[in-house]
Amino acid sequence: MVGCAPTTQPRGWSGGVLADGKLFLGSMEGKLVALNASGGAQFWSTTLETTKQGSSFGCAAPPSSVAIYGTPAVFEDLVYVGGYNGRISAFNADSGALRWVYPREGNLEPIVGGLIVALGRVYFGCSDGKVYALDAPTGDKIWDFPTGNKVWATPTIDGNTLFIGSFDKKLYAIDATTGKGKWENPFETQEQGAIVSTPLVYNNAVYFGSFDRYFYAVDATDGHLRWRSEVEAGRLFWAKPIIYNGTVYAPCLDGKVYILSAETGHEVADAIDLGSPISSSPVLIDDAVIVATEAGKVYSLDTKTNESKLLAELKQKILAPLFASDGTVYVHTQEHETLYALDAQTGAQQWSVGLTSK
Amino acid sequence: MGIGDIWNLVALQPMTNVLIVLSHYLFSNFGLAIIALTIIVNGLMLPLTLKQIRATKAMQGLQPKLTELQKKYVKDRQKLAQEQMKLYKESGLSPAGCLVPLVIQMPIWIALYQSIMRLLAVTPEDFLVLSQSLYSWPLVYSTLPLGGKFLWLNLASADPYLLLPILVGGTMWVQQKMVTLITVDPKQQAQNRLMLWMMPLMFGFFTLQFSSGLALFWVTSSVIRIVIQYFVTGWGGLIPERTGKQAAQDKKRKQQWPGFKKHP
Repeated sequence: MVGCAPTTQPRGWSGGVLADGKLFLGSMEGKLVALNASGGAQFWSTTLETTKQGSSFGCAAPPSSVAIYGTPAVFEDLVYVGGYNGRISAFNADSGALRWVYPREGNLEPIVGGLIVALGRVYFGCSDGKVYALDAPTGDKIWDFPTGNKVWATPTIDGNTLFIGSFDKKLYAIDATTGKGKWENPFETQEQGAIVSTPLVYNNAVYFGSFDRYFYAVDATDGHLRWRSEVEAGRLFWAKPIIYNGTVYAPCLDGKVYILSAETGHEVADAIDLGSPISSSPVLIDDAVIVATEAGKVYSLDTKTNESKLLAELKQKILAPLFASDGTVYVHTQEHETLYALDAQTGAQQWSVGLTSK
Repeated sequence: MGIGDIWNLVALQPMTNVLIVLSHYLFSNFGLAIIALTIIVNGLMLPLTLKQIRATKAMQGLQPKLTELQKKYVKDRQKLAQEQMKLYKESGLSPAGCLVPLVIQMPIWIALYQSIMRLLAVTPEDFLVLSQSLYSWPLVYSTLPLGGKFLWLNLASADPYLLLPILVGGTMWVQQKMVTLITVDPKQQAQNRLMLWMMPLMFGFFTLQFSSGLALFWVTSSVIRIVIQYFVTGWGGLIPERTGKQAAQDKKRKQQWPGFKKHP
């Protein structure tokens, strides 16, 4: 009845970021890896330092590596990554040498969402319920903003406003310079859900899916509700949506991609059922939305016809967000941890590289 | 559909969703929901629990006769077994009578345990697994994630003040002591001593590492069982009833005590 592993060990599902022909992503062995974007050859990798967690009693082994869930970010010569160990690290993008760590000593609560770099600052949310802004070159804290519960979402910035959702069921708009709240709690209903998905800003509206199985659009200026989707999804929204030509493509853990009008929230086409939960955020390549399911299938959704086409069947669990460049879509799989580079048109495998050292 | 899916469908999913709904109605407090569901499940299983306690008590009543048989047929195993069966038959008891209700209850306890673990959803991976176990009741989705605070505890992690391990170990010890058979057989006494200390220490030790939510379930279960046991058998081995001879000895000892004064 009792065992030695009461909860799952965090393993991570980092997406990747491309800069100057280099591809950076967090591996499930707790390493930040720099690869050649055109062939997958490794430039360098560096292991994030684990921190002591929990008591030394009992049989649960301490984590041997740092889980990385958030996608790294690149700014000038530095690449930034946040870990489940509650630390943000900045490394030299060319050499992988550590530049700084925040906090300097100890650690925050686990960091699950990704980070963004803008206005010379690194922004991220933390499980301690705060949103942080650090000075990008030095890692000094500039401000922190408290919310009412864990923050697992990745922030989005538009102009000088940072948008981020929290487990406290609120979406926040924060002044990116001062860290002062602009507005919060845009909902008009009482039974709203927590927000983990990364919001998207389009035409002065913020779009996001919620745990309550509805998709929302709120005004970016004052936060008032523009619409709540008529359709109620089968499960909660986790992945970031895509907006193209006035249409929202909202992937859901019920395995469907909901297709809504960005203006009204009405369904413009029937939801596309891909048959397996979608926690991986999709990408837009030309006029196709590329989506991956947990079951390991990668689909291309034609935004003109709203029809899906199976691009590749990798037969490995996919949780990490997709990322793309120059007609190539990159897929980071969980089992036999591998990074695949696929042709976005045909699904043909251009190259793949295993990320486990074993 | 594999056995895991069936288990998920008939046991784990219902319990998980009921816990979420209870949490919603109990001031969004997951700790109260754990206590409430443990009480409800215990209530539903009360007939089985009573059957098991009564069967165990009746078996304990047979113990002196069984010990006698063991002494009598120490060199004849076959005869001993025959005589034991005969004794069970004559008294209308079966050793399985104690075990069957326990075996029926086990899957329910396991489902409750797994539901609590699932709902604590510490890691993002846990959360994705949990999302696949939810019913389509709107209440369920708007209640998530469940608050992890209860009294001084963070239900997802171990109690830093060690109070919960003491409570888990202490209540289990009391419960075990109540059901412990008073015996003169040294072998049986040693076995009882082992049982009395092993389980409380083991679970107290687990509580040092496991989430407080689970420990809360253990403490609540133990307290409920202590109450049920008390109403069926009294304090049992915890405060043993004294025999006439023991009472006389106590009286004599008291009278010999220098400070003893007989009240008028």
